[in-house]
Amino acid sequence: MKFNLAAIIFFAFVCNLVSAAPTGRIFITNERGDSVSVINGSTLTVEATIDVGERPRGIGLSPDGSELYVAVSEENKIKVIDPVSLKILREFEAGSDPETFAVHPNGNIYISNEDDAKASVFDPKTGEQIAEIHVGLEPEGVAISPDGKRVIVTSESTNMLHVITASDNTIENNILVGSRPRAATFTQSGDIAYATAEISGEVVKVDMNTGEILKRGSTGDSKSKPKDVVLSKDESVIYVAGGRANKVVVMDATTLEIITGIPVGKRVWGLAISKNGKQVFSTDGVSGTVSVIDTSNNEVIKTVEVGKFPWGVVIND
Amino acid sequence: MLRNYIVIIKSSFIAMLLVSNIALADNIEVHFAFIGQKDHAALLGAKQGLSEANLQGQFLNQKYELDLISVENVNTHDFSKYIAVLTAIDIDTYTKLADALPNIAVFNLSIKDDGLRTACIKNALHIIPTNTMELDATNQWQKKKPDSIAKAQAWHPDFVKFAARDLNKRFKKNQKVLMNDNSWAGWAAVKMTSDAVARTKINDPAKMLHYLKTELAFDGQKGIVMNFRETGQLRQPILLVENNKIVAEAPVRGIAKPPTLDSLGILSCEK
Repeated sequence: MKFNLAAIIFFAFVCNLVSAAPTGRIFITNERGDSVSVINGSTLTVEATIDVGERPRGIGLSPDGSELYVAVSEENKIKVIDPVSLKILREFEAGSDPETFAVHPNGNIYISNEDDAKASVFDPKTGEQIAEIHVGLEPEGVAISPDGKRVIVTSESTNMLHVITASDNTIENNILVGSRPRAATFTQSGDIAYATAEISGEVVKVDMNTGEILKRGSTGDSKSKPKDVVLSKDESVIYVAGGRANKVVVMDATTLEIITGIPVGKRVWGLAISKNGKQVFSTDGVSGTVSVIDTSNNEVIKTVEVGKFPWGVVIND
Repeated sequence: MLRNYIVIIKSSFIAMLLVSNIALADNIEVHFAFIGQKDHAALLGAKQGLSEANLQGQFLNQKYELDLISVENVNTHDFSKYIAVLTAIDIDTYTKLADALPNIAVFNLSIKDDGLRTACIKNALHIIPTNTMELDATNQWQKKKPDSIAKAQAWHPDFVKFAARDLNKRFKKNQKVLMNDNSWAGWAAVKMTSDAVARTKINDPAKMLHYLKTELAFDGQKGIVMNFRETGQLRQPILLVENNKIVAEAPVRGIAKPPTLDSLGILSCEK
């Protein structure tokens, strides 16, 4: 009896560990492939492809990693996928033309509705819309500070970072940046954010408490139309997807000077960095590939063929 | 008694000045004029640009208005309050108007005449491409595809790249027609000016003219930063359209010399 009880406790413990353990998989939305490619994190090969519906773009994970969310733009929906079984669990209406989103530490989804000049907040458990925030034209990038205090929504045609206070979902500041701001990321403390501006080909570093632009840095040649931006684990460098420059631009996080450009596939937009900071994944839209970058030497260690026009990437680590 | 009264008047006047100054610093009202037929496609574009300017302006306490002025009333109208004047008129009226308003940007949204560019009128800003720009675009394309009968256009309602899809979608939704070259030009004129107001808070027409001519870095949803030549012509990519389908963009890759926007059209003034 005693033994049985211990066994049950042990079994329950193991089960718990198993269910909470991240799959190590990398998930990619294929904008024109209408699918999600699943890359095995150890072998770096595609182990499955999930049909999700027309024009999947934004992709993200719940805070505990147990659910994968995909914005299916043409269907105006977010689909919820089990990252273990790869089955679509449910779906909910996510406003008009949902594009990019970020998941708040409390589990809510902040999403940009590109052709409606607004951002919406959804509870993915119920699919219920919690709030709607009017922002500028063509809202695109969404970033949330690690402490959950602030949300940035970029509006591409209004050239702004809209800073939203998450506690009441109101706009606290509108920061004019370069032409066509597309993506942003926060530092761990949440005091600083980096944002890319596609047409002016630059990255801005912004003080989130004052709204002041601290630094501007060019991403290089005229073909370089930056999109996603991620910070290294030690926050000393940023990685910027260089668009049609076909490289990932590595910049000093303090000076915003270019350290190097890593050649990847054509029209690179999406970026994700692993939690341990050792690998960066890029989606190379026109090439239909994902490049895996080793951050210790900034070299591509593998190029993985995925679906048509890979767009977003998230790591379940 | 009288002295006290004057002091009171003086101080309240100063207070009034202060208040209005603060209000001025925070709120900007910007006025555009449009001259042309009220059913011209360029006006629909300008209206679309205006609604977008006001959408941006609500975050910055800036308000934008557009007055429609008929060609008959041009000579008697007071243009002093306008940041810029948009026109879809004939070349003679345009030339006279630009001459009469030397310190205001006068946008040309419809005339393709090359001579109007090489004349280098100081305050003339031409959004619509010239005949030569269109010809250069088709010539470049024919070097690649000798049988092509494609014609050159500034814009097309099926253009999707560079968020052109979004502009086409919201224009159609709001104006109930498809966006064409003239409506794109009207939109672009308002958009580049209101973007400049948002960034610089300039609300003086002469300063705006100078800014547009020397510092512009405009995102016209054609995927590349645009600015003006010394002729007053906007540098821009041109679409090649065959059987109402976009087949290419000029500068045509691998053909255009130089491989830049300056492979299209005449670059400098008449000497």
